[in-house]
Amino acid sequence: MEIIMTVLAGILFTAGVYNLLQKQLLRIIVGATLISHGAHLFILTMGELKRGAPPVLQDGIENYSDPLPQALILTSIVISFGITSLLLVLAYRASKENGTDNMEKLRGNENE
Amino acid sequence: MLFTVFLPVLLAILIPFISKYKEKIHTGWFVMIAPLAVFIYYVRFIGVNFEPTIGQYNWIPSLNINFDFYLDGLSLLFVLLISGIGTLVTLYSIFYLHTSERLDQFYVYLLIFMTAMLGVVLSDNLFVLYSFWELTSISSFLLIGYWNSRERSRYGAQKSMMITVFGGLSMLGGFILLYLITGTTSIQAILGMTDIILQSEYFYLILALILLGAFTKSAQFPFHIWLPDAMEAPTPVSAYLHSATMVKAGIFLVARFTPIFSADEWFFLLVSGIGIVTLIWASYMAVRQTDLKGILAFSTISQLGMIMAMLGFGTEVAIFAAVFHILNHATFKGSLFMIAGIVDHETGTRDIRKLGGLVTLMPISATLAFFGTFSMAGFPLPFLNGFYSKELFFEATLELDRFTSSAAQFLAAAIPYLAVFGSIFTFIYSMYLVFGTFTGKKNLDQLPKKPHEAPIGMLLSPIILILGVILIGLVPNLVNAPLLAHVAEAVYGAPIEMDIYFWHGLVPAFYMSLIVVGVGFVLFYFKKYWVAIYQYLPGKLSLHKVYDFLMDQSEKFSAKVTKSYMSGSLRHYMLYILGAIVLITFPILLMTDGININFSNTSEITTHEVIIGAVIAIAAIATIFTHNKIATILTLGVVGYGLALLFILYRAPDLALTQLVVETISMALFLLCFYHLPNLRKRTEGVFSRSINLVISIGFGALITIIGLSAHSTKLFDKISDYFVETSYSLGGGTNIVNVILVDMRGIDTLFEVVVLGLAALGIFGLIKLRSKKGAE
Amino acid sequence: MSSNLAILPILLPLVAAVLVAFFPKKLKAVRLVSQIWMIVQTVIIAFITWYVLDNGTIVLESGDWVAPYGIVIVADSLSIILALTTNIVALACVFAASRSIPDRQEKFYFYTFFFLLISGVSGAFLTGDLFNLFVFFEVLLMASYALITLGGDKVQLRESLKYVLINVFSSVLFVTTVAFLYSVVGTVNMAQIAERVAESEQTGVLTAIGILLFFIFGTKAALFPLYYWLPKPYIVPNPVISALFGALLTKVGIYCIIRVFSLIFVHETEITHQLFVWIAALTLLFGAIGALSTQNIKLIIAYNVIPSIGFILMGVSAYNSTGFSGSIYYLVNDMLLKAILFLLVGAIAYLAGTSDLRKIRGMIHHYPFLGWMLLIATLALAGIPPFGGFIGKLVLLQGTFEAGEVILALIGLGVSLLMLLSVLRIFVRGFWGEKDSSIQADKKTARAFSYPIAFLLVFIIFLGIGAEWVFPDFISIGEYLMDPSIYIDSVLKE
Repeated sequence: MEIIMTVLAGILFTAGVYNLLQKQLLRIIVGATLISHGAHLFILTMGELKRGAPPVLQDGIENYSDPLPQALILTSIVISFGITSLLLVLAYRASKENGTDNMEKLRGNENE
Repeated sequence: MLFTVFLPVLLAILIPFISKYKEKIHTGWFVMIAPLAVFIYYVRFIGVNFEPTIGQYNWIPSLNINFDFYLDGLSLLFVLLISGIGTLVTLYSIFYLHTSERLDQFYVYLLIFMTAMLGVVLSDNLFVLYSFWELTSISSFLLIGYWNSRERSRYGAQKSMMITVFGGLSMLGGFILLYLITGTTSIQAILGMTDIILQSEYFYLILALILLGAFTKSAQFPFHIWLPDAMEAPTPVSAYLHSATMVKAGIFLVARFTPIFSADEWFFLLVSGIGIVTLIWASYMAVRQTDLKGILAFSTISQLGMIMAMLGFGTEVAIFAAVFHILNHATFKGSLFMIAGIVDHETGTRDIRKLGGLVTLMPISATLAFFGTFSMAGFPLPFLNGFYSKELFFEATLELDRFTSSAAQFLAAAIPYLAVFGSIFTFIYSMYLVFGTFTGKKNLDQLPKKPHEAPIGMLLSPIILILGVILIGLVPNLVNAPLLAHVAEAVYGAPIEMDIYFWHGLVPAFYMSLIVVGVGFVLFYFKKYWVAIYQYLPGKLSLHKVYDFLMDQSEKFSAKVTKSYMSGSLRHYMLYILGAIVLITFPILLMTDGININFSNTSEITTHEVIIGAVIAIAAIATIFTHNKIATILTLGVVGYGLALLFILYRAPDLALTQLVVETISMALFLLCFYHLPNLRKRTEGVFSRSINLVISIGFGALITIIGLSAHSTKLFDKISDYFVETSYSLGGGTNIVNVILVDMRGIDTLFEVVVLGLAALGIFGLIKLRSKKGAE
Repeated sequence: MSSNLAILPILLPLVAAVLVAFFPKKLKAVRLVSQIWMIVQTVIIAFITWYVLDNGTIVLESGDWVAPYGIVIVADSLSIILALTTNIVALACVFAASRSIPDRQEKFYFYTFFFLLISGVSGAFLTGDLFNLFVFFEVLLMASYALITLGGDKVQLRESLKYVLINVFSSVLFVTTVAFLYSVVGTVNMAQIAERVAESEQTGVLTAIGILLFFIFGTKAALFPLYYWLPKPYIVPNPVISALFGALLTKVGIYCIIRVFSLIFVHETEITHQLFVWIAALTLLFGAIGALSTQNIKLIIAYNVIPSIGFILMGVSAYNSTGFSGSIYYLVNDMLLKAILFLLVGAIAYLAGTSDLRKIRGMIHHYPFLGWMLLIATLALAGIPPFGGFIGKLVLLQGTFEAGEVILALIGLGVSLLMLLSVLRIFVRGFWGEKDSSIQADKKTARAFSYPIAFLLVFIIFLGIGAEWVFPDFISIGEYLMDPSIYIDSVLKE
């Protein structure tokens, strides 16, 4: 299953990067979000899948899933959330101020 | 010795205060104390029994950078020139610069220069020498830019800085290599390790780098172009830095390293070859100049070329002649610059076409100029020191028979003819300078000022220098054994005994002098018939244009290159970054046998997981194709929620919960922010850019996947999380291991994760509330 | 108890950030508190630095979880010196801020962001845990996002958007790479990673993972070909913020490269460090070319950040102790110097009313002190003695020659000249020349900028002339970096 999940995470990266290379802000941000989903899946997979019970101690159970990747993902999810929110508001403000949501029109080569 | 080197700079600190009283007493009088004191301190070293002395003071011992001063004949000669001419120049400047000028700045720069130059010639430490070397460039830059309201001043200052710093940095490269090969920073110690250096694979690189430093500083062809433009500096500066001292630093450097380098014939080829070309080209160009200081600048270049050529010869006579000429050149050229300054000061112009017939109005200046120019021309008169060194130069050109390579032999054979040829032009410009200024028709109405003789104070310095010219001419032995012999010994590496006579008999060198004088006079007399040649050579060719072109292109070319990729387009930037990562990481992955994919250590594949995975994959890809913003956001949501499902399946309940909550809020935010923005448009880019995007994203995705698979297949060690399972309850006091990790074991992560959230909140608050006034309209 | 000292550089600014967030509108009080706090904090960190240099590395095992299981904070000589430098820069900036930044922006939590930036940067220097490094990266980036958009100007928003997006991408790639590494070596503690990578002789996929990390840090550090995000976003915010960015952000990236490629991935130097040689050369060249390409004085300085990073990488690529000590010295010098230069051009652009060099002239008649400071900073940038830049450059060139990378070293020398030219233009064209009488001299603002700049300049001069006072420590750092086992042992206590 790990192989499939790794490939899936790779697909998320690919689709994310493709979106990142687009012009419109919404697509770009969608791309960034997809990539971070991919990253979380990668972390989980790297800790091996389904090798034991959920990492909550219970009597009589010896094998647990690797708890560390889960902790890392948790931290990462929260941070990603913060960044995505800021990014969204920033994107909104930037496109309002500049009157376009097309990144190719936001090159800005004046004042050189 | 430390004190004498830093005395000028210490005095410079006081100058801003002293100069407040410049109306009452000219600041220059105070400044003069420094060079005079240094001169008096060192003049006592002159003597037949002089022995080199050392002074060592720590600076940065951990880097072997220390103030190790070494006073041998060579540095003594230079120290005396720096302090002696320094004194005279300061004296001269007192009358030259009016108190309404910014004297404080002028003298601070001048004093910094003195310290720097003393440091260059006294340092035995490579890197201290380099430091002082660059300091001379900086002070020269500031002095040339003294009248920086003028465009030409700024241009000249920057030009000199760029060219000399270029050389300085090359020299630094050479020094570092020398240091690495020998393991010492002491020049004297390095001179003792000639064999090691000659055998080093870097020998020629070192030679080239150090010579670049010397040639740029001493204005050798083709780097001489900065010196004519340096004439924008006030005349005392031209006389001092750009004729007598700083431009000789390159000569000094070559002389210093002669004992090592002269063993290789490339040294002769480069140093003498460049030197002789410089001599010819600059004296040829000097005849064309119309500005008095321009003539003198080219004349200086040509004389430096001559000294350089002699150092390259490496024979006893040549080296002796070289050091002798260093001294002689300082005397006559220094005085000529001062006289040019006087003429400028009194007539208001330095344009030789407007000048003429000044001999009756300025008899003293004219007399001094006659002595100076005739000495420079090498005119055979017993009271002109220039003749002696010129004659020795000719003699030296005839003794070049030690070379083995054919190139060196060829150059050696050509040099006597080239020397005569160059000297003829030296003769012509000398005559042109003195006769054009002081004899002929008077054009008083063309002059901005009505000329009369300069005040005695101004004349004092050139008089002293011309007296030096005559004195050395009449009694050359006054400086021979007590000073020059020591200098030559320092350069040659063994004692040189040389007798200087006016009359050697009818030796070939004398005939060469006669040819120079004879042909020179004829050509000077008929100058108007052949000056047209300058229209063909150099014609429109100009090395200045090369510099200007380089400077211009440094901006234009850079702008072109930079604009070509710094397009401001996020897509381009991402493409470059991703492309670089893919193109570099893939080969490295292959080179290191990094790809390792095996299916052994995997969990079983179940249908529902595969289905969820497929849905996620399809949704992810679908985001590319949707054209409705709401649909896109919802498709993205499918991925997010799908991930939460996977988290449940993979025994991560906390994750699943968090993911659900976060995904929901994110969806809401997405919708909120993009509600007001335009809908998604069809992608309009061409097939080409679309396929680039595709190739890059697939390439990157593949790279990450392959590394991921290999990483998964290469589990080499036990995981530290076993420890967390064991101690979660016993040490952490909690049964939910993930929670224990978050709040305890990795508490710092969690603390700062909260900080990030807080920051995001404040940032968003600022973005929404704080709008620029322009934007609000 | 001394081990707790290690976390103070992170904790103190965090406390300050929270403190000043409580009463953002009482600007005078906030300013005063921030300034005093910065002074005290810098003094304390100076003391810790002295303590570390004297007594050796301090390792704090947070929450008493023994390494490698908990997060360790490692104040070794390298990280604490950089944390101290960070604070010196910040100290100058906090004083420049009160006049330079409009009150409205200051009220929008400027000081909170400022302190958190310091906290994040110090954390990134000090942490001994790779995932924790990611967290501190996010703290400092988030603070930088907030700072860069402060003011909400049109251009500012546009440029910060690109800045944020590229950084978001590299952050995500960072966590992914940490996960890969975790899969192979089973740990996120840097010392243990180093130990295990050494044990496995950096087999298989490890080198590729190292290269990915290099690219991630290289993006933050602004190396070729990853620096595109840097120049423009650095010139849009307020000069004080630009100064903080120029001094700190890219330096964190290059610090991580130094750390990771001296501690962990040191077993395939034929491949990795040879790659650095090329990247350093191209970074130097393209950065310098960029600096020459523009007439915008702020942009000139922003581009000059890039070749400086190239120089530091050059010392890393040499991979010998001389190269490392030169790099670190240059790094410290460059942090201070970039702050100076950004503050200077910020002041010049403000006082001249434009950042277009073609429209500025004769500034020296109005502001001689700024002019002379600019000249000194220019010379220091080009590595002309006797300033700090010279010592660093000299030593790292020695290291590069020593490693036999002659061409790279020669490129370094050539680029020094181009860097000199690029900034000297500001002095020659902008400061020299006819007095521009259309300008009303604003001595008050000039002074507000001059004092902090002069304060930092003292250090630049000290690092040159007084090098003997500090350089021996940098020699030991160079040797220390060449021997990873010291770090590993001090963390894992084996």
